[in-house]
Amino acid sequence: MRRLRRIVTILAATAVTGAGVAGCGGTKSITGAGGGAKGGEVNVTMTSFPDYVDPQLSYTVEGWEVLWNVYTPLLTYRHQKGDAGVDVVPGLAKDMPQVSEDGKTYKLTLRPNMKYSDGTPIKASDFTYAIKRLFKANSGGSVFYEGIVGAKDFAEGKSDTITGITTDDNTGDITIALERPNGTFNNILGLMFAAPVPPTTPLDKESTNNPPPASGPFVITRVDAPNTLTMERNPQFNTVKDAGATEVADAQVDKILVSQNKNNSAQVTGVQQNTIDFMSDPPDADRLPEVKAKFSDRFRMEDSINTYYFWMNTQKAPFNDLKVRQAINYAIDPEALNRVFGGRLHPTQQILPPGMPGYDEYKLYPGPDMEKAKQLLAEANPADKDITVWTDDEPDRKRIGEYYHDLLNQLGFNAELKVIAGDVYFTTIGNTSTPDLDTGFTDWFQDFPHPDDFFRPLLNGENILPTNNSNFSQVKIPANDATMDKLVEQQLTDDVRKQYAELDKSYMEQAVWAPYGNEQFTTFLSDRMNFDKSYRHLLFSQDYTSFALK
Amino acid sequence: MAAPTTEDAAPTADVEGRSPWHLAWARLRRNRIAIGFGVLFLLIAVFCLAAPLWAEYVAHTGPNQNHITDKITIDGRLTNVVSTDGIPIGPGLRGRYLLGADQNGRDVMVRLMYGGRTSIYIGVLAAVITTVLAVVVGMLAGYYRGWVDAVLSRILDVIWAFPVLLLGIALGTTLALGGLSIGGLQITGNSLWIPILIIGLVYVPYMARPVRGEILALREKEFVEAAVAQGKGPLRIMVSELLPNIISTVIVFCTLNIANNMLLESALSFLGAGVRPPNASWGTMIADGYQTIYTAPHLTIVPGLMIVLTVLSLNVFGDGLRDALDPRATIRLER
Repeated sequence: MRRLRRIVTILAATAVTGAGVAGCGGTKSITGAGGGAKGGEVNVTMTSFPDYVDPQLSYTVEGWEVLWNVYTPLLTYRHQKGDAGVDVVPGLAKDMPQVSEDGKTYKLTLRPNMKYSDGTPIKASDFTYAIKRLFKANSGGSVFYEGIVGAKDFAEGKSDTITGITTDDNTGDITIALERPNGTFNNILGLMFAAPVPPTTPLDKESTNNPPPASGPFVITRVDAPNTLTMERNPQFNTVKDAGATEVADAQVDKILVSQNKNNSAQVTGVQQNTIDFMSDPPDADRLPEVKAKFSDRFRMEDSINTYYFWMNTQKAPFNDLKVRQAINYAIDPEALNRVFGGRLHPTQQILPPGMPGYDEYKLYPGPDMEKAKQLLAEANPADKDITVWTDDEPDRKRIGEYYHDLLNQLGFNAELKVIAGDVYFTTIGNTSTPDLDTGFTDWFQDFPHPDDFFRPLLNGENILPTNNSNFSQVKIPANDATMDKLVEQQLTDDVRKQYAELDKSYMEQAVWAPYGNEQFTTFLSDRMNFDKSYRHLLFSQDYTSFALK
Repeated sequence: MAAPTTEDAAPTADVEGRSPWHLAWARLRRNRIAIGFGVLFLLIAVFCLAAPLWAEYVAHTGPNQNHITDKITIDGRLTNVVSTDGIPIGPGLRGRYLLGADQNGRDVMVRLMYGGRTSIYIGVLAAVITTVLAVVVGMLAGYYRGWVDAVLSRILDVIWAFPVLLLGIALGTTLALGGLSIGGLQITGNSLWIPILIIGLVYVPYMARPVRGEILALREKEFVEAAVAQGKGPLRIMVSELLPNIISTVIVFCTLNIANNMLLESALSFLGAGVRPPNASWGTMIADGYQTIYTAPHLTIVPGLMIVLTVLSLNVFGDGLRDALDPRATIRLER
């Protein structure tokens, strides 16, 4: 069930002009602050413990959920539910960056007189140190920052400094020079990876057992990985608030105990009986109907920005034939897959998910239409009908693979299902030398709210990599690649969004994927909690600053 | 158990002309519990062998066919095979979905029958492999002794040193992706031969050791010396003199080994290292079903019950067989 964010191996930094991402959609009511009872202790369970308790290294949904309210980057995301939550706003920086005309230089100023939780002053040079750590500690997030001038030389050990970052601890000025303009750079500055940490933090190794002092509303006071961690109010957070960081929400509870619990059903029972206040993962399909029916006053479905799809290797038979790929899209029944997910899947047939800028709903292959699919296959008459279907061994995904395997056999293929362990699945299918890479399961959860985060790693022909490949369909459409490069150089205006929507449709006209759904998550709280205040953030999962007791 | 000692007291003329096999069969027939469980096993085997007939003429679906969005009429009402919340229908008195459906809308009865075929098939074939290898290794080690015994025994020790389940998981997960390639022999990762070979291999020491022990004792007997004196070669002595003397032990071991194999297959399949999806075995059915133990307990209970019944029947029948074949057993013929 874990939705481990896969390491993005593609450089997100590309040619762009402009100041990056503007506001994304309308605003909704703020749910994370103000009013109600304050204080108290909250118990949270997760099926998987955060991969690292370290802002530079963590790259999982669980890790980001915990760390978002512990470490504050220069820019951050608004603490709001829905589309408003994907707006980039100033965090430790006074304002949004000043971007040079050529789009290659970003200037920010750190707010004055802020302190980490241990009383150490937060300095401008701590940002440089954080970026250095990304490279020295081999963070999966380092790829996002390789576009900074001198970053590659630093990573390769050719230089002791990253020449593209200059800071002044007296004035708080931070200047970042990019090799090429990058319209997504504001989003990238808002990722956990870029959160400043003091230079006492180990440069080249993780700090899970002794996390760096906090700059957010909570501080992690105890870690017993991979079992529990304790978060308490950051005693120095008032220095951040006093410096004017109004967009960084304050904690409403005094303490949060986060525990790993591998038994989903036990977690459900715990929340029902109020021994657990919040379970990070959705209840399994087995318990979901009961929870929905009996606890509707403290349970709700929540949107998340992701796309589930079947990839098809467009470079080899039979999926190098457009008609075969179209046939698959006609044949798939999103409702069947929705039931596999226990009713938590919003059906789709396009690349971008709802909530992502550029999303514009359309459906090119109405169905399920097995007759149409069989007709297309008869026209294509593929010579090679022996195909391998790949999926991993997590229960939902195994069932998805079994459904897809059966569907392909019904269409006349001789399909063989390969179910491999979840922890090696993406590295296996991401290695293009693995034999029989024909088709299979995958998903994608956004790293930041920009359509380029979907198109570039997953569909750009330049990003068909021999290992750690994410373009599993091995799509290479030069005209679309050029459009992608052109669009990412521009600000995300309505017109650009429309062009991203057209790009989406263009890929689906080629049926490069067979998308079928966007997974919904849940908020399920104990009876002690203030249900109305708590919400799930589109980027960082549950917002712990929204936790409040009744 | 029947009262002992009557066989010894029986008039000699009554038993003259009856072979040891005949005597064993007579003893076995007296053990009605063993016979009962033997019949139960046969019924289970027949039930499983009838899977294609049931699938074709009653359920009208195959074991791997998904029917997630299909509907079925129950009590005059059209009902989803799998609800919109993902919960499958349960058992009921009807041809299709007699034992309900699983989360992919597959007919549990059909999968149970096909799964049984798979489990029994693996259990029996793995037992044959174990038996053949164990008898060969045990006889060679016991007959030749010396360095042959030392080498073979150490190899067995190495296999023995690994917990059976861990060894099975390690081999199963390794071979699942790339399959097995030995010389010209190619076995794909999804083949049933992968769990058969794994299970067949890991239990070899458990049978080879007792066989070796018996051969070590038997080769010192006078009839072996007589055979050597007659000029019989080692192979002939092993096959014609020693093997018949250990055959009852081997048969009993083999029977009990089938039960152990089926248990190991279920455990490996449950852990994802045995039978590969979407193929059904009782172990994979439990693995698929335990996720819905609250709302669809039949998915776990039904295959679990079949494993219990099959293993119990084989164990009780195997015990009866041992009692019948072993002349030192407490059971004796009554007159």
